Amino acid sequence: MKKLLPYWLVAPYVVHMLVFVAFPVVFSVVLTFHRWNIISPMEFIGPDNYVRLFKDRLFWQALFNTFRFLLVHIPLQIGIALGLAELLNRTLRGAAFFRAAFFLPVIVSGVVVTILWQQLLSFNSGMLNRLIAGIGLPRVAWLDDPAVAMYSIAIMATWKNVGLYVILFLVGLQTVPPQYYEAADLEGATNWQKFRYITLPMINPTIFTVVVLSTIGGFSLFIEPYIMTEGGPLNSTLSAVMYIYQQAFQYYHMGYSATLGFFFALLILAVVAIQKRYVEQEI
Amino acid sequence: MTKWLIGFIVLVVAGSCSQDEGNRPMVFWCSNNAGEIAFAKEFTERWQRSRTDKPLRFQPIPEGQSSEEIILASVVGKTTPDIYANMWQGSVEMYAKAHVLIPLDTLKGFADFIRSRCDSSVIREITSADGHIYQVPWKVNPIMTLSNRQALNSLRGIRPPFSYTSFLEAGRQLKHQNGDGYTDRWLGYTEVKAIWYQRLFNFYPLYLAASNGAPLIVNNRAAFNNRYAVEVFRFLQNLYKNDYFPRERLSAARDPFIDERIATQFSGPWQVSYLEKFKKPGFEYDFWPMPVPEALASSNKPVYTYGDPKNIVIFNTCRDPQAAWEFVRTLIDSQGDLRLMELTGQFPRRKQLDTDPYFAPYFSRNPRTKPFARQVRHIKGVDNCAVIVEVFDIISQEYEACVIYNRKTPEAAIRDAANAVDVLLENNE
Repeated sequence: MKKLLPYWLVAPYVVHMLVFVAFPVVFSVVLTFHRWNIISPMEFIGPDNYVRLFKDRLFWQALFNTFRFLLVHIPLQIGIALGLAELLNRTLRGAAFFRAAFFLPVIVSGVVVTILWQQLLSFNSGMLNRLIAGIGLPRVAWLDDPAVAMYSIAIMATWKNVGLYVILFLVGLQTVPPQYYEAADLEGATNWQKFRYITLPMINPTIFTVVVLSTIGGFSLFIEPYIMTEGGPLNSTLSAVMYIYQQAFQYYHMGYSATLGFFFALLILAVVAIQKRYVEQEI
Repeated sequence: MTKWLIGFIVLVVAGSCSQDEGNRPMVFWCSNNAGEIAFAKEFTERWQRSRTDKPLRFQPIPEGQSSEEIILASVVGKTTPDIYANMWQGSVEMYAKAHVLIPLDTLKGFADFIRSRCDSSVIREITSADGHIYQVPWKVNPIMTLSNRQALNSLRGIRPPFSYTSFLEAGRQLKHQNGDGYTDRWLGYTEVKAIWYQRLFNFYPLYLAASNGAPLIVNNRAAFNNRYAVEVFRFLQNLYKNDYFPRERLSAARDPFIDERIATQFSGPWQVSYLEKFKKPGFEYDFWPMPVPEALASSNKPVYTYGDPKNIVIFNTCRDPQAAWEFVRTLIDSQGDLRLMELTGQFPRRKQLDTDPYFAPYFSRNPRTKPFARQVRHIKGVDNCAVIVEVFDIISQEYEACVIYNRKTPEAAIRDAANAVDVLLENNE
């Protein structure tokens, strides 16, 4: 009995892994070779779903939209978070208040934040457009113009998440030994030189963590376009995850949706691997 | 000892299960709005009194994002009710193909009853690709053009019913009334979102009106690459291009029609009770057929529209389909149809509704609903196609590109939509 005890202790975790991770992964791989609409029996179709994926113009557009979002969202998020963390790392009055204030949007429900921003960005009654109209400028279709909508979402997502990365950077900055800065001061280094040659290399692991977390978070973009724009206008805010969701739960193309999901997971893995190789070495 | 105990438990559980199944009453799911719950309650109680041998209970469909989603979940979980009233006609073919519905034409008395209630075109419309009928045509909400009487009276030479030209002219005159350069009053508003079901309330009724009720799909091929669809796209495109309809979503906080920010709306009979409740004193409105091309407007032919039909089905989990059908029959006889109108304000899909003397007192009491009763003669549902949602989604994508954003010509948009639908239908054969 004593011999079996360790197995009993790990059993709940193993069972959980098997049921909620291993089985869905294996099942979804099997699904990629089938056509299945949930209510009819599965039909084996070989690699047809993969062939369809490469010909699916809308999927590639959704992927392009997601990258477009990342291209704005990640630099914006890292730049703002690092800047705010630098400010908060100094002995400022009310620093504790600002730390809490910047973190607040992170803990507010994504749905609530999205609805708030939807009101804020509304063409006719949004506060932002009222301000713009108030100073005599033409209103902007923040969510209704295909050229603007994804950037509006990127700004909103940055506002929502930046607090988390401020905290991560703050922790990173506080691990840099002050002696390095004292030595640099003696050598007559400028603030920029200290930031470039001491701070950045020292917080490199934090930067890598933030880049990876932002990338994975950005790839899973769903709630914001789903609620604010439903993927429109003209599919300009249709994200890859939203498209996968539509295929599964709007059209019940379970096999094709699993194929898209599988391909997308591999893509995220590849992007993170590239980031690991370059971000870690570059700085 | 342990073996005996386990055996005993298994026997007790198995026994209790089979006993439960045997005595289980039939379950009838209705929609979860107050009117339909009252309707279901009344007819279930009546059945319970007269047929004690066939127990039945009703239940509003469980809450969810949409009733379609709940039905799908119950089909997957094999927890479907015996009878479901409120099935969107477009969903039936998918379930019929999956063999989860009872073919009603195999039940005693169904064929005769349905022939007496519906005309042949309706029966053709609800007949599945395999030749069976899986749905009882139950209720409809025809989409018509709602108009603000005072607003239209203020225009020169505009008298409904509308042709495309007179509708656009109304838009031009209303825009001119704005005066200050800002459009704060529009001819109308219809949802701009590219989500598929929104096309059931703008493109599709206009297409049915222009084409005299032509189908979108014939012999598993797109049949809408025609001048009617192109004209509808062009008409709608002009409404947006000229700023007669706003591209931006109007605030839902205030009803734009009651608020007189829009003069017309494509809407259904559900609007009547709403308007009667919330309209300002002296506010007058009318319902008219959908706008049509000039040639049709001058021909005095009846104008078709989308009827938004919701039907009744019996699932194959039902242990006594014949009894279920007998209950359904009580919902859709003359008395059932009258109570449907009285309790819900919706219209039964039966022939000669507007001329049948049995229903005349109802229409005398509710004169606002008369245009809909007349329109019930000329309505269509959607084509029997297992992937009809995707067909509308494809049309929606092109609608957005052409009508809303003017990125394509109507000809190119309709051609591209038809080609995409053909590919879709080929892949789903």
